Amino acid sequence: MTVAARAVRAEWTKLRTLPSTMWLLPALAGITLAVGAAVTGAVDTSHCPTPAGCREDLPKLSLSGVQVGQVAAIVLGVLAVGGEYATGTITATLAAVPRRGTVLAAKAAVVAGTVAAAGTAGVLASLAAGRGIAPGNGFTAASGYPPLSLTDGPTARAAAGTVLYLVLVALLALGVGTAVREQAAAVTAVLALLWIVPIITRLIGDARWQERLERLAPMSAGLAVQSTRDLDLLPIGPWAGMGVLAGYAAAALLAGGALFARRDA
Amino acid sequence: MTAPVSYRSTVGAQARDGFGRLLLAEWTKLRTVPRWVLTLMTAVALTVLVALLTAAGSVSTGTGEGTVSPARAEIFDMGHFTYRPLAGDGTVVARVTSQNGGGEWAKAGLMIRGSAERGTPYAALMVTPGHGVRLQTGYRGDGAGGGTGSVPRWLRLTRSGTTVTGYESADGRDWRRVGSVRLEGLPRSAQAGMFVAVRDAIEVERRFGSESVTAEPADTTATFDHVSVSPSQPGTAWRDRGAPGGPAAPVSTGRTLSGGTFTLSGFGDIGHNAFAHDATKTMLTGVLIGQTAIVALAVLFVTAEYRRGMLRTTFAASPRRGRVLAAKATVAGLVSLAAGLVAAFGSVLLAGPLMRSNGMAPPPLGDAAVLRAVLGTAALLGVIAVFSLAVAVIVRRSAPAITVVLLLLLVPQIVATGLPLSAARWLERLTPAAGFAIQQTVTRFDRAIGPWAGFGVLCAYTAVALAAALWLVRRRDA
Repeated sequence: MTVAARAVRAEWTKLRTLPSTMWLLPALAGITLAVGAAVTGAVDTSHCPTPAGCREDLPKLSLSGVQVGQVAAIVLGVLAVGGEYATGTITATLAAVPRRGTVLAAKAAVVAGTVAAAGTAGVLASLAAGRGIAPGNGFTAASGYPPLSLTDGPTARAAAGTVLYLVLVALLALGVGTAVREQAAAVTAVLALLWIVPIITRLIGDARWQERLERLAPMSAGLAVQSTRDLDLLPIGPWAGMGVLAGYAAAALLAGGALFARRDA
Repeated sequence: MTAPVSYRSTVGAQARDGFGRLLLAEWTKLRTVPRWVLTLMTAVALTVLVALLTAAGSVSTGTGEGTVSPARAEIFDMGHFTYRPLAGDGTVVARVTSQNGGGEWAKAGLMIRGSAERGTPYAALMVTPGHGVRLQTGYRGDGAGGGTGSVPRWLRLTRSGTTVTGYESADGRDWRRVGSVRLEGLPRSAQAGMFVAVRDAIEVERRFGSESVTAEPADTTATFDHVSVSPSQPGTAWRDRGAPGGPAAPVSTGRTLSGGTFTLSGFGDIGHNAFAHDATKTMLTGVLIGQTAIVALAVLFVTAEYRRGMLRTTFAASPRRGRVLAAKATVAGLVSLAAGLVAAFGSVLLAGPLMRSNGMAPPPLGDAAVLRAVLGTAALLGVIAVFSLAVAVIVRRSAPAITVVLLLLLVPQIVATGLPLSAARWLERLTPAAGFAIQQTVTRFDRAIGPWAGFGVLCAYTAVALAAALWLVRRRDA
């Protein structure tokens, strides 16, 4: 086995055998499903002039639980490295694998893989729940809302993009966690970065500033990938928005990697 | 030989485990960690900075009327009012014969007011298609009354001193009293007449998974006959006050008179503006970011002791754990309150002038609602600190504790934007995020809960969390 493969296996064992990290994965899928189903259940066609006039974006609605479920991915990313600093096992890790770039890459691979697996489960379950709930609320095929299906191009893009969003958010958290080392500070910083801007956007009256913020903020830009209709009216395109989030994640990982390589453990 | 003196320990006198000492100890712990002091200052700086940014990003999208005074922006005094002078005590009577357009809240009826100037006190008696005969005054509520009064309907408004009493009748002979209101400072020479007013039609549109609510001006028309103002003053003519015109005016607003029958058309409501911009709340937005630092600080204040084993020393020095918890909560709460006071006053005092230079008119700090919002924001940070501290004692680890608290405070506000208004309101009522209602200074259409009730919800969550923390900290090993 190569060094890299062994490092990945070591990280996987660490993640797998810690109860605190292992329950985060079912939590990620479960919260995504529960919140998505609750939101879908709360929206019906009663407030629209006609059901077709609702212009509801059903895939996006079904996947809205990700806004809350991403918390688990963030905590997982931060704990993957912050937990080692808190307990001091980082020195043992670095004694076993002295190349710090390899350690960080292995952690990133394990975090990305597990989050992708849990995220896929959550996304598929949310879409299935949306498919079951939406027709009961008036979003029937007759009124222009075909049942959610992955064979539909935009829906498949929204689903795949949401999984990618979760992975990138977890990597962003991993990068910030490596740079900051303190769990509390890292979690606070990432949650603030993701959640605050959508709230502030709502309170700002000026449409120009709202658009600027939505283009630059990691969460609103990254979640643009969930939109399946009125794409030309979005502040930022689906994949361009994903690129913004990827930029944040890459910057955080690079900063974390540079500091990790330079500092004492 | 001296008599033996029995030994008495002097430690007892000095080592009191009084609450004052505990407070001092906890304050010393907080004060002497440079990182925590820095966090506290960060909270203040972030709050003020975001306030300045939002103020810079808020530009008046007004109607070209220039700066609207804050009191005026929160109310509507529109519609069409046809009036003539009423000297001293007197009565105005009319029969509303028909009412067209404007929905169930279209208003047609009689009004007495000191002057026709907008925003002045008035008493109005009106028929509404959906809510009966109502007597309305002021710019807050929808007035008292109800029932099933439908047109044609006789209305009578009588002034006696500063009291105005409204009566209604189906036939003009058999009168029923609707109610009476006092108009403070009503001059001897008042204006009395007929009016029509109507609420804007509210359009709800969902797009991009969020709800946008817009108000479109609606119009209404009503006819009146048997109009009389007594005592009548010879030589005075009927005069009109329509809604302010301009290109936005959708329909004809005006009055026609033919053979004793008046026809009034108008648009716009008289009452509260449910779409007013809450400038004070916007200026205090920064606290959403500032609170993250406060949450982190309050959580670390507990979890750092757990992690380093310092808590065992603390409990050895002061074995009554409830008291330690109380001292920690008091110190964290008061320190956050103090930081909140600096942050909130700083935000309003610095962002206010910036908003004014952008053509907006935030209400002055002396306004009771504004002062409540500013002081309430500081109190909010204090309570949030205590809540975070309690959650930290329950969870004992910093990352999960911070996540849980921020999840409860921020996520309801994010998820609410994707929900229909009715569901979003419940979310903003039942979660700790309700506490942010204390920042409201304007009653808007999307208001979920009153300022104090919302603050109470957060306090209730905090009390429950503190009780659970107290129970657990006594039961568990340190």
